[in-house]
Amino acid sequence: MNTVAEPEAPRRRLGPASASYAPFLPAVVLLGGFFLVPLGIIVIYSFWEVIDYNVVHHWTLGNYRYFFSVTAYVKTMWATLWVSVVATAISLGLAFPFAYWLSRYVPRRLRAPLLILVVVPFWTSYLLRVYSWLTILGEKGLLNRFLQWAGITHHPIGLFLYDRSAVILVLVYLYFPFAALTLYSSIERFDWDRLRAAMDLGATPLKAIRRILVPQVRPGIVTAIIFVFIPILGEYLTPQIVGGTGGVMIGNLVVNFFQAAEYTRGAAVSLLIALFILLLLIVFRRSLSAPEAYGG
Amino acid sequence: MKAVAVPESTATGSARAGIELRKVVKRYGNNTALRELDLHILDGEFFCLLGPSGCGKTTTLNLIGGFVAPTSGTIWLRGKRIDTLPPHKRPVNTVFQSYALFPHMSVRDNVGFGLRMDRVRGPEARRRIDEALGLVGLQELGDRTPAQLSGGQQQRVAVARALIKRPAVLLLDEPLGALDLKLRQRLQVELSQIHREVGTTFVYVTHDQEEAMSMADRIAVMNEGVLEQLGTPFEIYRRPASRFVADFIGDANFLDVEIDGDTAVLADGTRSPCSGGGVRGRATLMVRPESLRLVDPDDAPAGALHGRTVKSSFLGTRVRVAVDCEAASAPLMVALHGDEATALPEPDRRVALWWAAEDALVLPPEGESR
Repeated sequence: MNTVAEPEAPRRRLGPASASYAPFLPAVVLLGGFFLVPLGIIVIYSFWEVIDYNVVHHWTLGNYRYFFSVTAYVKTMWATLWVSVVATAISLGLAFPFAYWLSRYVPRRLRAPLLILVVVPFWTSYLLRVYSWLTILGEKGLLNRFLQWAGITHHPIGLFLYDRSAVILVLVYLYFPFAALTLYSSIERFDWDRLRAAMDLGATPLKAIRRILVPQVRPGIVTAIIFVFIPILGEYLTPQIVGGTGGVMIGNLVVNFFQAAEYTRGAAVSLLIALFILLLLIVFRRSLSAPEAYGG
Repeated sequence: MKAVAVPESTATGSARAGIELRKVVKRYGNNTALRELDLHILDGEFFCLLGPSGCGKTTTLNLIGGFVAPTSGTIWLRGKRIDTLPPHKRPVNTVFQSYALFPHMSVRDNVGFGLRMDRVRGPEARRRIDEALGLVGLQELGDRTPAQLSGGQQQRVAVARALIKRPAVLLLDEPLGALDLKLRQRLQVELSQIHREVGTTFVYVTHDQEEAMSMADRIAVMNEGVLEQLGTPFEIYRRPASRFVADFIGDANFLDVEIDGDTAVLADGTRSPCSGGGVRGRATLMVRPESLRLVDPDDAPAGALHGRTVKSSFLGTRVRVAVDCEAASAPLMVALHGDEATALPEPDRRVALWWAAEDALVLPPEGESR
């Protein structure tokens, strides 16, 4: 009994090459016009310089050199990576048990309402959702009022806002739905008999999840990491609103440079963010190809 | 190593005391999947749980495997209570209907998974994996992934994986259900051979009566959460305890009769021979198609049933004749074998049906199954 896949029948050609590529035209126009061209402009800008608020076509590495010469910028870069990693980890750490619980224990008819609850925040604007955290974490916010009412403190505590932990908290709140939806769609297709088989063969429930469930939903986990980590890396509104001076991220630097008409320096910093994203995608490139993950 | 086969010495009571379910009830909300099941499965036997879907056979399997907990009652394995243990602490392994192979692991890693959980490694693990793969004839395919195997091969991997820990009991949940008939028959033979070789108790769930008959030492026929009958394939076929069992196992003709002493009075007043213990008054008479004889109506003994042939069908190994009788509400099926089957009786011919007393079984009337 040999079940090696049959060789594929050779594909028939669809006439002249020009005709067969025609269907790709819209995609090429979209991708080129809205992605490649702007990216090219940013790349070129990052190697030019600004003199008297004007972009001058002088080729230089000065923008990059400048960024790495300012300690505060480099520190912000590392802090941004740190915040992104932590916020992504917490988002997935919360979303995985949620998706597991939802797809394993919640009856099918209750899943849709619960998923809608997860998505409901998207019906309000991003800004509103971030500002609403001010009313919870702020000096006259819900949390402080509660603590004062409960007699735990007598003066409002400023600690809750304007630092990295506040930024991480709000980022987790903002990106949890992305992680939850991605993981759910992946775990939902899992054959639970496999988990039962692992336990039947002597694995504890946690071991079965780690050895059997996690490897099989790895593409979903990687997708969730990418969906959450990449936007967080470029975040600038949340750190600006709830982070204050203590929560500055690399996205704020880009905004600051552009507002100060330092377009070329801003472009260089943007490319640094893109570089980190590229590195992330390279690390995960194997896990992203489904055949690899499923051994098919 | 907690889950290897339990040594003989730890078994209390009789050495043949395998699995025992005592007054086990399982309810899902308002649904009763099992009502007070008492079951005794002997050590080393090939035991089949047979019944239509929803009869509670899979629930019984899951109770033994530990995937569901009984609402009440206890489960014992070789004298030890196991219904309180989680699945991974029971010396019981399962072959799942979907096989539930791990797609991200090679065949060897799938088979060796149970050993790894028990921290059996190195040469010992390699030897036992080879042994298990040899048992199912897959030595050559250890490095493939499950996706590269055919359905039958995947099924064998699932058996090897479940047997590698030398469980006291192997549970099989309709393991051949997804395969085509030819392959299913071959694997039935293979599974019986494997059972003889390893000597482990097999508890096999199926809704296919032929499968149960061909493999099992004993069969438990279940219906609506109740054990209808427990016995060897021969007993269950020859002496079904209820109309349900007779109908579910093989083909059967049923006649509404009145029992008068040792004869059955049919609807048209014919007094026919029968054998049956204890039932009086209204009853159901069951005769297998192969027990019915076609006789010359002008030369028929008293008590024979007169009627007309409706249709004859040639079925290869036998000929099936449908006979319309006044005494029966539905046409009676007669199976003719060998010499009898050489000529197809033409339709609408006057015939008489005759049977031996020991082939006509008296059952409680329909609707009054125990």
